[in-house]
Amino acid sequence: MAFTLLVNGVQYGVDAEPETPLLWVLRDSIGLTGTKYGCGIGQCGACTVLIDGLAVRSCFLQASRAIGKKITTIEGLSTDGSHPVQLAWKEFDVPQCGYCQSGQILAAVALLEKQPKPTDADIDAQMTNACRCGTYHRIRQAIHRAAALRA
Amino acid sequence: MVPEINAWITIAPDDTVTIRVGQTELGTGTLTVNPMMVAEELQCDWKKVRAEYASANRDVKEKAPEWTLKIPGSGETDPGGAAPVELRGMDGVYRRMIIHSSGNVRESRYYLQQAGAEARERLLLAAATEWGVPVSELVAKDSIITHAKTKRRTTYGAIAAKAARTPLPDPSKIKIKTPDKYTLLGTEQKHFDVPLKVTGEAIYGIDVRLPGMLYAAARACPVWGGDVKSYNFEAIRNMPGVHSVVRLPFNALTKSANFLCGGAAVIADSWWRAKTALDAMPIEWDYGPAAAVTSASLYEDHVAAAKLPGEPKTNEGNVDEAMGRAAKVVEAVYSVPFSPRARMEPGNATVLVTDNRVDIWSGDQDPQGLLRRAAKLTGIAPENVYIHTTFQGGGYGSNGNGPQGEQAVVVANALRGRPVKTLWTREEDWGTGTRYRPMSICFFKAGLDAGGWPIAMEVRHATTWNLGDMGYRGLSAPPYFVPNYRLTLHSPKTHVPIGTRRGTGAAPNAFYMESFIDELAHVTGKDPYFYRRELLARNPAEPKQGIGGFAHRDDFLKALDMVAKMSGWGTPLPEGWARGIAIDDRRRPTRTTSTICAQVHTVEVTRRGQLKLHRVDVAFEQGFALMNPLSVRKQIEGQIAWGYDDTMYQATTLQDGRAVERNFDKFPVSRMNEYPKQINIAFLKTNRWITGAGEEAIPQIPPAILNAVFKITGKRFRSIPLKNHDLSWG
Ligand code: FES
Ligand code: FES
Repeated sequence: MAFTLLVNGVQYGVDAEPETPLLWVLRDSIGLTGTKYGCGIGQCGACTVLIDGLAVRSCFLQASRAIGKKITTIEGLSTDGSHPVQLAWKEFDVPQCGYCQSGQILAAVALLEKQPKPTDADIDAQMTNACRCGTYHRIRQAIHRAAALRA
Repeated sequence: MVPEINAWITIAPDDTVTIRVGQTELGTGTLTVNPMMVAEELQCDWKKVRAEYASANRDVKEKAPEWTLKIPGSGETDPGGAAPVELRGMDGVYRRMIIHSSGNVRESRYYLQQAGAEARERLLLAAATEWGVPVSELVAKDSIITHAKTKRRTTYGAIAAKAARTPLPDPSKIKIKTPDKYTLLGTEQKHFDVPLKVTGEAIYGIDVRLPGMLYAAARACPVWGGDVKSYNFEAIRNMPGVHSVVRLPFNALTKSANFLCGGAAVIADSWWRAKTALDAMPIEWDYGPAAAVTSASLYEDHVAAAKLPGEPKTNEGNVDEAMGRAAKVVEAVYSVPFSPRARMEPGNATVLVTDNRVDIWSGDQDPQGLLRRAAKLTGIAPENVYIHTTFQGGGYGSNGNGPQGEQAVVVANALRGRPVKTLWTREEDWGTGTRYRPMSICFFKAGLDAGGWPIAMEVRHATTWNLGDMGYRGLSAPPYFVPNYRLTLHSPKTHVPIGTRRGTGAAPNAFYMESFIDELAHVTGKDPYFYRRELLARNPAEPKQGIGGFAHRDDFLKALDMVAKMSGWGTPLPEGWARGIAIDDRRRPTRTTSTICAQVHTVEVTRRGQLKLHRVDVAFEQGFALMNPLSVRKQIEGQIAWGYDDTMYQATTLQDGRAVERNFDKFPVSRMNEYPKQINIAFLKTNRWITGAGEEAIPQIPPAILNAVFKITGKRFRSIPLKNHDLSWG
């Protein structure tokens, strides 16, 4: 094993070049495919994961840089879709194609950690992931709802 | 085995009803609305309904039952009928599985309702036979069958096995419900796929993992029409994980799924290793005949083509005579650039080819087409090709029909016995994997009478969009009354692969027409809403002496009035703000089917030229009924972002014969902060079936925004995207 990563509370041994982007280690080495590939250049946010609670674009981070850190992917948010952000997402029926939504949800989780009662301006500033289906209207409503659910 | 009542429906003893869906879920709601159409007739408990994909392989082997081939009623104005459908030749059991042209509900509603009704009748018949009572005395509701007289009761789950063996004496007698009888259809139902998409459980093509799977990274010649001259695999053979290289043939297939450029794919034990090695592999290209083409050179080709006589499409009245006596002549030139569909999930498919069988895991909009082409590419009979449909990360116009699957088949065919996942990089997807809405230029000339009303209009449209009616949909017969009207089409040549794209030809064509009409209103000092209204009202519902004629005139007027009222049209706004209006119905020249949509966009432009879209009001035709109004709302909300991106940012420019914008850095997609804070959607009831809802709110967006921009800035922009223009004013 070349190195180990702590993902969703589990230590995984990884056999990959340490400079491999974290995204591909998560998806292909560890098999957590909820984290998506959209651009590979840190632009779209489909690959967003939490590293020590902060939203990070995993396509743009060498896996070795995440050694010893706490990585959370969409699979680690809850075992049954019961995280307040997931509940709110279901209530507002947010996803269309859904491809960007793992990243959107983790970005929203990170936002609510920082700002438990975000304003529309906070949401505009922090939610910078692309959704080609254009689900922003519902994402905004769901974030406000998730804030209420957490309170 | 769970009893199968017919090809769409199985019912388990615990009353779980599983409904099979032929159409891939790419975010439009097929996986929910198709079961709704079945369940409406089945009268089962909606809470116990599950969805799964239908098998394209079964579709090859099994013919459609006779009772699904017949269209009940006739035409789009019959509530018991169906809008004209395109199912000719699609006589496999699942009929047309391709999802296209907002056509899912339009094309499948009638046979899905029939499938539900057929199953319900058989469940009833089975219960009646068991109880020895007339079937007419039984009632079915929420998966329970009751006989009031004898107080008997059973469930669908309990009777399903018997129903599976009970044919109907005459299935051609099946009658489907008309919208006034709907109880489930027409209600907002949350989407089945949403819970899976918030936990990461939803499996897209890119997520498929098989034991022993290899990964392929592919690169095609960046210039369409080019090919590989040579590559040096030896240079990368010893890189970590590298397995082999496969040559991607040039033009291996014909028509919509061909490979327009030759290339190579590197195979490795992980995708990142395959891509890293591919990046390092020296490749020499033969760029082919188009290596010098640029957007500017193509633009010139279009201008030159427009000077030729062109192909006449409409010629009503006497344009030249009327133009000669016009009090005022207005001319304008509009254009759009190339643009891809740009879905989120890069093209991919996972394929296993053995000597007598092909298995393909993919989110593909056309499973039947992929199946046929895989058979052709491998020489394996279609009966032995299996498509395992996954979720698909967006589509927006057949992105996800070839050649992602076909290329993956070629790769796996070279490595028989090993499953291989071929995945494009984003750059590969947007640069060579997709097809484009083509560049087009539209030349307008209008002659106005002394009152400012058009008496003549000449439209010359230079476009390479020669698929069906793309080049003239929305232009061949404008909704407005122009007694002397001429449209000609001019087709230059291009090497760029052209395809359908969300909004179809209606999108650029409505941008042109709805902007130019606005120009005419402003030139004559008239309010653009009232100008449109008057020109519509002047158009007879039926052509008079072969001139004009617009059957949907009254509904257009209603939609315009509705959206004007919703938006507060005419009420004051702050300085630097304005409203822009536009209407379109994506009507095809040969059909009357439509979805009327009128929009008002409330826009702000700062003096420095910063645009902000604050509010969008949408009046959207619902026809007799919308099947799942929640899907439609979500579609409209999303289309607002989509059309906004077209208006503001998106273009593929050509340099050295190839696409310049190949990733999100150069091809921006707007984010949360640009999405309007206020969206109002209202539905307009009309007496027909609508075309669909997957793209019907797109064409209005560029003209509505640009019409507002003109009002604020006094600048009439006649091309998109706006990022190429200076919006500053004052
Ligand atoms: S895939 Fe990482 S930001 Fe797009
Ligand atoms: S839901 Fe499709 S890209 Fe966001």
